[in-house]
Amino acid sequence: MSPARILSRQALAGLARDRSVLILVAFFAAMVLVTAWLGWSATATVNAIYADAAAYLSGAGQPVPPNPVSTSAPLAVLRNLGVYISLIGAFGAIVIGQHLVEADRRAGTLPLIGAGPFARRDIALGKMRALVTATAAMMAVAGVIALGTLLTLPSLVVTGPDLGRLALFLLAGWAYVTTFGFLALGAAARLPATAAGLIAATVVWLVITFVLPELTANLHPTAAINPVTTLAATPDAGVFHLFSALLGPVSLAEGFAWLSGDLLGFLPEGLAPRGLVPPALALSVALVLSGLFAAQAATRLDLNAGGPDA
Amino acid sequence: MPELRPSLSGSLLTIALRDAREQARDRVLLWATLALVAAAAVSLVTGAIALHGDAATYAAARAQLLALGKDAAAIAAPEFYPLKLLRGTIEQIEIMGAVIALVAGYRAAAAERGRQTLALILTRPLPHWAYGLAKILGGAALAAVALALVLVATGLLLRLVSGIGLGFGDAGRLALTWAAGVFYLTALFTLGFGLSLWAKSPVSGLIYAFALWILVVLVAPQIGDTMDPDNQVAGGVFAQLSVPKAEQDRIKAGFAGYESFRNGIEVASVTKHFERFTFAVLGIKDTYTGAPLDKVLAEKRGDLLFLFLFSLGLGGVVLLKPINPDRLTKES
Repeated sequence: MSPARILSRQALAGLARDRSVLILVAFFAAMVLVTAWLGWSATATVNAIYADAAAYLSGAGQPVPPNPVSTSAPLAVLRNLGVYISLIGAFGAIVIGQHLVEADRRAGTLPLIGAGPFARRDIALGKMRALVTATAAMMAVAGVIALGTLLTLPSLVVTGPDLGRLALFLLAGWAYVTTFGFLALGAAARLPATAAGLIAATVVWLVITFVLPELTANLHPTAAINPVTTLAATPDAGVFHLFSALLGPVSLAEGFAWLSGDLLGFLPEGLAPRGLVPPALALSVALVLSGLFAAQAATRLDLNAGGPDA
Repeated sequence: MPELRPSLSGSLLTIALRDAREQARDRVLLWATLALVAAAAVSLVTGAIALHGDAATYAAARAQLLALGKDAAAIAAPEFYPLKLLRGTIEQIEIMGAVIALVAGYRAAAAERGRQTLALILTRPLPHWAYGLAKILGGAALAAVALALVLVATGLLLRLVSGIGLGFGDAGRLALTWAAGVFYLTALFTLGFGLSLWAKSPVSGLIYAFALWILVVLVAPQIGDTMDPDNQVAGGVFAQLSVPKAEQDRIKAGFAGYESFRNGIEVASVTKHFERFTFAVLGIKDTYTGAPLDKVLAEKRGDLLFLFLFSLGLGGVVLLKPINPDRLTKES
């Protein structure tokens, strides 16, 4: 077994024993469980409203417009899942990322690891491998629960290509949350003060989720976490077009929301992503850059710092 | 020697002032408050730009109609109420302000646990609840100052971007918003402080506080918001179906149970009460735009009462729960 794998296994065992991490993962799983019901219930209500409105319009001799949700793809009932991945999943990854460094630092085991037959590169790789595995496990849990609820909801016909799109969506979700996990891991390695890595990564996440959408599309925070309203066209003003072009590629929350809409089949027709870089490419680049940051910071981690008396 | 003992109120004031002073000197919180000011300013400016765009579109459409010899009354003019531009500011206080309050609460507990000063304080003739109350008062003072800074800065910016000065009535509405915001942020400070004081380690307390923040501040209102049929379709389902208002009300009446359930999820969140109160007071919600303040207060006092009782209840829990001396050290 390679040194990185040994360190990764030990880190994962530590994560599995941490109550705060387990509570967050359970919370995430519970929200995945309700998301399909939420989508199904809301869609059924709009269909019922449409039936009432169509009866009224026919009676009044007015033209009846098409049902705005009847053409929705079956995966669209999972539209809230993207929001919960970007909120609870991303925060869970941040907690995991900081825990991977901070738990050893607080316990005073960093000097022991430093005294072991491990290269610095192995320590960094071990931590990153543990993070990647933990976030992949979170997404696997989300996938299993989402699939289970999809198959139990009435009047939904899920085809093979739908399952392929669901898998791609979960892959994008994994890339999104792992990006924040890498940021937290790197920040915790760089900032030795207790919880500093957690707070720093949370601030970056807040800016990306709630401030950038205001600059690119005048989307207020509550609209930014609504899967439908967040998919709005860029307002027709020069400033928004400029910010959209400049900040679009780094506005990862909007990019992930666009990808969610595209893969789950609820993207408004003709809605272009912000900026010139396709969201899938922007997300991949962000994952690689945050991974490099985490690798660099974890390689330079001070292995003599920390401990209960620090 | 009883004469050497400070009075309880004196001890409370000393701890509260020392805590507020220490947190005010803390660069992290100073930068966090400035970041909130910046986020609020971004919301205000982007809102003003969007409104300007709407006004330009209206002017162009109106000119086109007049040039064609048609009645310009066929299109509605965009209405301008300066305080409506504060919508994004309120939402940033709801979300980012809440995070700052939680972190401040965590730091208030972690600093004492880290330096072992809490153990020292508790050897003094001071009830545990008095220590907690002093910390909460310090946090409330900090919230009051930080929020005043945010609202004064956005008020000045509002005058700059709108070109309209705020009147005495507007200042009163902002003062009410400030008061509600102090209750809201103090409640979240108390949550962060309590959890960081009780948890095995302060960091675990902060993580629990953040998880609760996600549930109460983001997820509960988000569920209610996304269950709203009007939010299922871009532009609103009724607008897309072109159904008149009276018919909309009749159709909505048929979904009273669904609406009650949706509303129930929303009002379980303290954030929604803060939002409903401030949106009504500032006239951000259309039904309250331009409404007299006494009418708004009469209709929205339930939300203010919830905010007050929530803060009081949370404070009560923190004050009544005894501090476990075995968990006073930083990493125990």
